[in-house]
Amino acid sequence: MPRDVEPSINQRDFIFSAIQQGLRVDGRSPLQARKTTIRFGNSLGWVECSIGETRVVAQISATVTRPYFDRPFEGIIVIHTEFSPMASSAYETGRPSEEEITMARILEKTIRRSEALDREALCILAGQKVSVPHRETNTKIVRGQQVWTLRLTIQFLADEGNLLDCACMAAMAALRHFRKPEVEVVGDEATMFSPEERAPVPLALHHQPLCVSFVSLGPRNTPVMDPSRLEEQLAHGKMTISLNAQKEICVLQKAGGVALPADEVLHAVNVAVSRVRDMSDLLNRSLEEDSRTRVIEVR
Amino acid sequence: MLHTPGNPVTAHRPGVLHSKKQQHWVETESRRYIPAPQESVIGVIVHRSAEAYRVDLGSAHLATLDALAFEGATKRNRPALKVGNLVYARVSLANRDMDPELECFDATTRKADGFGELKDGFMVECSLGTCRKLLDSTHFLLPALAQKFPFEVAVGVNGRVWVRAGSTKATIGVSRAIQMLDNRRTSDEEVASYIQQMDV
Amino acid sequence: MSRFEPLNAGNLRSDGRRPLELRSFSAELTTHPSADGSASVSHGLTQVTACVYGPREAKNRAQTMHDRALVNIEVEVAPWAGEVRRQRTKGDRRTAEFAASVKATFEPVIQTTLYPRSEIDIHIHVLQLDGGLLQAGINATTLALVDAGIPMLDYVSSLSAGLYHTTAMLDLTNLEESDLPSVTVAVLPRSGKVTLVSMETRLHVDRFEEMFKLAMEGGKVLRGEMDKVVRERTKVLARQMEGGAAQDEDRMETDDL
Repeated sequence: MPRDVEPSINQRDFIFSAIQQGLRVDGRSPLQARKTTIRFGNSLGWVECSIGETRVVAQISATVTRPYFDRPFEGIIVIHTEFSPMASSAYETGRPSEEEITMARILEKTIRRSEALDREALCILAGQKVSVPHRETNTKIVRGQQVWTLRLTIQFLADEGNLLDCACMAAMAALRHFRKPEVEVVGDEATMFSPEERAPVPLALHHQPLCVSFVSLGPRNTPVMDPSRLEEQLAHGKMTISLNAQKEICVLQKAGGVALPADEVLHAVNVAVSRVRDMSDLLNRSLEEDSRTRVIEVR
Repeated sequence: MLHTPGNPVTAHRPGVLHSKKQQHWVETESRRYIPAPQESVIGVIVHRSAEAYRVDLGSAHLATLDALAFEGATKRNRPALKVGNLVYARVSLANRDMDPELECFDATTRKADGFGELKDGFMVECSLGTCRKLLDSTHFLLPALAQKFPFEVAVGVNGRVWVRAGSTKATIGVSRAIQMLDNRRTSDEEVASYIQQMDV
Repeated sequence: MSRFEPLNAGNLRSDGRRPLELRSFSAELTTHPSADGSASVSHGLTQVTACVYGPREAKNRAQTMHDRALVNIEVEVAPWAGEVRRQRTKGDRRTAEFAASVKATFEPVIQTTLYPRSEIDIHIHVLQLDGGLLQAGINATTLALVDAGIPMLDYVSSLSAGLYHTTAMLDLTNLEESDLPSVTVAVLPRSGKVTLVSMETRLHVDRFEEMFKLAMEGGKVLRGEMDKVVRERTKVLARQMEGGAAQDEDRMETDDL
């Protein structure tokens, strides 16, 4: 099992002494993030996000399915994270490591548990039998399919530290970018229109949570935001805060690691608030720019 | 490159073709080191036993560094390196069937000559091509930095460069300059102007 | 169906407690004499047992660290533990996350540098669950490690807290956890620093601070309870060691933790 070689003593001592002086190896200050960019693909719902050299791709696809039997009026979102050795030789396909599971769980809690997506709006028909004729192909009559199931796939392309923030940003951008086919419900029948006939419809989002990750570095446990790969390996402790632009904390996860005084945790929350504001602005701007380049005909 | 008599010469690796008098070679841009004898490399000690150290070179296998392969080392008197130390060593044996072997002294003079433990400083990882550029005495980067402040550097052909300068800022400056050079998206002019504007 | 009322008109919670009142806490050490250390902890109806084996020879040589001990956590949730009988598979993500959190919490607290290349295995069994899984798991592990005599920097004391409108509440039951924004906190009481903070529900930043600080205070109080149990047990052990003939019951060999 390939395991990342631990950084040498020289690396560790240098990073620690540098952080004591408030310096980081890439020239940033401790609470400064790297350059964040968002790029949209040709198809709606495909987004590549990069923070520094870390890159993540998120994409969304939608199908019509039966809902869960205990939640008949809600759509479903399935979040699938794929760790591959492409991101870093420390990852292995197949059995996910502890770190991978933790990351996947935080993404799930941030996106699904915080109810970022309005699942009730994904409900098509709350009836018994449904026929969903598709104009392009022959009429398809299927029993019991009633809601949209969204599949959000997150692929980690390059790991230069802080995959989590990057993944969350990509996922939220994809959710906002994606358009689902319009469905018209008349009585007991639902008609799904292809994208050529009717412009597809955006998803309903309640709010937009984004992740901000910190690590504690050095003998004085200096808080450092947006850690690089080396900083992550040398950190004594990690903390991730997911917030939305309305200053609501959705997830706060500091699972072990070096103990911090309460004030430092609260201070980190404040730093996260302003970082989320910047990220939300970037996301809004990028989406606007992208929508200008797309042609949506209205007939 | 491979030449069998009667057939044209073919290249086996992608890269830029260089020629010097009768010698031709293809320089590949690569990040993974394949050990070859007499090359100077930087390694991280990952395991220590009574007889030898196991060293990571960033290549396919761990290399072995004999505990006595240092200048003037005897059974009673030898350097005590720990797991996590950096060493500058010479590849003494590189055979595709065996783990590579290292020595920390010059082959002919048997003196340390700069090989051995690298204390303090910071290590930068880059591509093999960048290391070759830095080893070229006519390349602009290191002399340009030397104009600004004094520093020490050890270049390993295995894609690792060790830097030590007087202050933390200076060391960071050198390592960032090297990383910029390594980054294919930054041009040489940008690197040169970065060095010019460096405030240390 | 009656609507669940977190706090009624008389400022009492659904189980009759006041907002800052903890559930009845009980702990027992050495519940599994065959393990190097073990403890069973219950907060109200939540009951969790922890067994510690180690430091001992690692099963997997490749995973050991050359300068410290490896800490392994295995968690088993009994199928009858929750409201509905459910057999959890080994790879269950929530359980894996729980185990990873406990491991990350104790790794910096246990003095692992004293036992290089060895392994400390901790098995956590959840017998009954009524909210506070993380808190009970951490507290049980702390006591089991104390029972095993493994040196630690401090107790790790954990507690959950929730917020109903403007009233903060401590030590939540399952109903309260599903209904209110909540946070679980683990502190090192001596230094007052927090080692674990876990919140999964939406809460505005301004309302977070009070709940967070109260949870930390509660953790320190809980530490007192755990310490009492440890000292009682030590008294018993000391008496046994002296063959029961000692008259002076206050002679204890414990350090002031």
